[in-house]
Amino acid sequence: MSQIIFEHISKTYGATAALRDLCLEFPDKMTTAVVGTSGSGKSTLLQHINGLVLPSRGVVKVFEEPIDYARLRQLRLRIGYAVQGSGLFPHLTAKQNITLLARLQKWERPRLEARAEELMRLVNLPLDYAPRYPHELSGGEQQRVGLCRAMMLDPPIFLLDEAFGALDPITRGEVHEEFLRLQRAAPRTVVLVTHDVREALKLGDYLVVLSKGELQQAGPCEEVVASPATEFVRQFLRTQLET
Amino acid sequence: MVHPATWLLAPLLLGFFLAAGGTAAGKPIIIGSKQFNESYILGEAMAQVLEARGYRVQRRLGLGGTLICFEALRSREIDLYPEYTGTIEQAILKLPRHATRETLNDKLREAYGLRLLRPFGFNNTYALALPEDLASRLGIAAISDLMRFPNLRMAFSHEFMERQDGWPGLAAAYRLATKPTGIQHGLAYQAIQERTIDVTDVYSTDGDIEKYRLAVLRDDKEFFPQYLAAPFAHLGVDEQVAAVVNELQGKISDAAMRRANAQVLLKGATFAEAAGSLLREIGVAQATRERRDGAFWLTLLLQTVTHLKLTLIALLAAMLVAMPLGVLVYRLQRLSRPIIYAAGLLQTIPSIALLAFMIPFFGIGVKPAIVALSLYALLPILRNTATALFSIDPLLKRVSIGMGMTTWQRLRHIELPLAAPTIMAGIKTAAVINVGTATLAAFIGAGGLGEPIVTGLALNDSAIILRGAIPAALLAVLTEFAFEVLERRLVPRHLLQRLGA
Repeated sequence: MSQIIFEHISKTYGATAALRDLCLEFPDKMTTAVVGTSGSGKSTLLQHINGLVLPSRGVVKVFEEPIDYARLRQLRLRIGYAVQGSGLFPHLTAKQNITLLARLQKWERPRLEARAEELMRLVNLPLDYAPRYPHELSGGEQQRVGLCRAMMLDPPIFLLDEAFGALDPITRGEVHEEFLRLQRAAPRTVVLVTHDVREALKLGDYLVVLSKGELQQAGPCEEVVASPATEFVRQFLRTQLET
Repeated sequence: MVHPATWLLAPLLLGFFLAAGGTAAGKPIIIGSKQFNESYILGEAMAQVLEARGYRVQRRLGLGGTLICFEALRSREIDLYPEYTGTIEQAILKLPRHATRETLNDKLREAYGLRLLRPFGFNNTYALALPEDLASRLGIAAISDLMRFPNLRMAFSHEFMERQDGWPGLAAAYRLATKPTGIQHGLAYQAIQERTIDVTDVYSTDGDIEKYRLAVLRDDKEFFPQYLAAPFAHLGVDEQVAAVVNELQGKISDAAMRRANAQVLLKGATFAEAAGSLLREIGVAQATRERRDGAFWLTLLLQTVTHLKLTLIALLAAMLVAMPLGVLVYRLQRLSRPIIYAAGLLQTIPSIALLAFMIPFFGIGVKPAIVALSLYALLPILRNTATALFSIDPLLKRVSIGMGMTTWQRLRHIELPLAAPTIMAGIKTAAVINVGTATLAAFIGAGGLGEPIVTGLALNDSAIILRGAIPAALLAVLTEFAFEVLERRLVPRHLLQRLGA
């Protein structure tokens, strides 16, 4: 059974529907890329997984149980979360950002130091960047710190909300490589929301295409590319891959 | 190395301990006065007579106007102060004119538990005055002559403008159509000397009348009521004390009073000296008191210390209330408008009114001043705390929730640190406002740098005013500076919002 399952999820804001009757299983230890035009509901979908958004109808199962909304914190500590523009806290140094959750969880100092160092090496961050504040880092470096922070507690699930969106093409390529290396070294269940189909195909094993809150197609990347299920998917992939 | 901020804080703390010293045991008789010349002298005279008879006396002279003194007497924070029959009749009891002292006392006893002792003798009533040369040039001798000159510039003390026995009644009785402006009584003489105004209200025993060569206009329609000065006491003051003070009954003439007033104004005598020679002149024994005058720097230091104590305690109290309130407002947004509006409302209450309002609850002296000051400090801190929290980047809020931080952890580790620079700015504003407003605390006998300002205004002596005003201004600048140092220490540099940065 998958770690993340959506059963008939609908989400409405007032009269507008953001998601319509979504049924999905996200394959374990693989990267699922969620793509769609802006307003397709892909970010809303992602935020259902860590309980930032509550479904209007349906059930979200994470770690094989329906989400217990009274105990969201325990759930969230086991789900890494990284967002566009890194979302680093400007008053904390790179290292303080990375270790924040571990400190709140009262980790022993040696364990905390070792884990932070391990993560920084993993994403190619020079260790002497640790005392720098976010504004003293480049966009790519900030993004790497953001990834380290999300991975600090070694969560089995990892959510990336346009996490690489704000980077220039070269830096983005580098961060992609690091992401793939991480995933090869210790695969985890990743849900990646992006508006960029190339990025989705490069990083993802599995592809989910949304349009106006409705599921168009879900399946292994090659399969979706080879045989689009709807006219929308065909058009969407073609325009995105041509440019 | 010791950080500069420590050096700034050390004298503050030292001052706090110095100024927090206790009061002597026993129960002295507490004499108050209002903050003008004659009231100070009469307060001193009563004090000296009592001291000569062996009573221990505590002076609380120079309290802000009638309202403050009356409230202080009613709350038995003071035992005696000189008051005028006309003021009691018109401003306190709001009676029809020409009530007898018996009528006044019946009402006072019944309504407030107070009584008026026997009048000192002189009648210090309101009068209108203008420069002698102007009066003779225009041929003005009586108030009714003013009708012919509606273009004369008139400025009256605020109390005179308000009272029925002041301008409103006078204008009606004499059919005067001039539109006067309000002016602080002490400043009116200066204005008249500089010829920025022509006519003002004076008291008939003012020493200034001589000093500024003013002509007092005859009240030809006998409009002004009698203002016989008398000791005003609460019913808890015992008969022996009353008897001692009553020794002064009928002994002080208009001329004697005017001379005593002029002695302070023109010859630079202290209130105590003027009271002493007044008592000598009328043959009532007075205590021989060594008045230590010098010690200018020590006085200044003590006043500064008191001032800082008032400001600092009020600021701390305001922070303790306003910051949690700001967080509450942020958490329960429904409350935000009512709470912030209420704090704003406090800001609009005139300081004298707020101080008077405090007396029944906190007495006079340091306590009510601190409460009032902290009320004024609430709004800047509260508003900045709430605004700072509300304006945190929503993405950062989402991330901190999504990461799995508890509400408290988010507040403690993310939201408050991010809001800190703005909150600090609010505290700084409040501190600087407080340093300025604390000068008003002298109105209710809290001391501080307002003391020389109040005395200086009473004497119309700008040198004395500056003795309080300059240190207070320096203190405000120093406060600003101290907070900048503190900010640099507490807030990461890149989050600082600095002026001109």
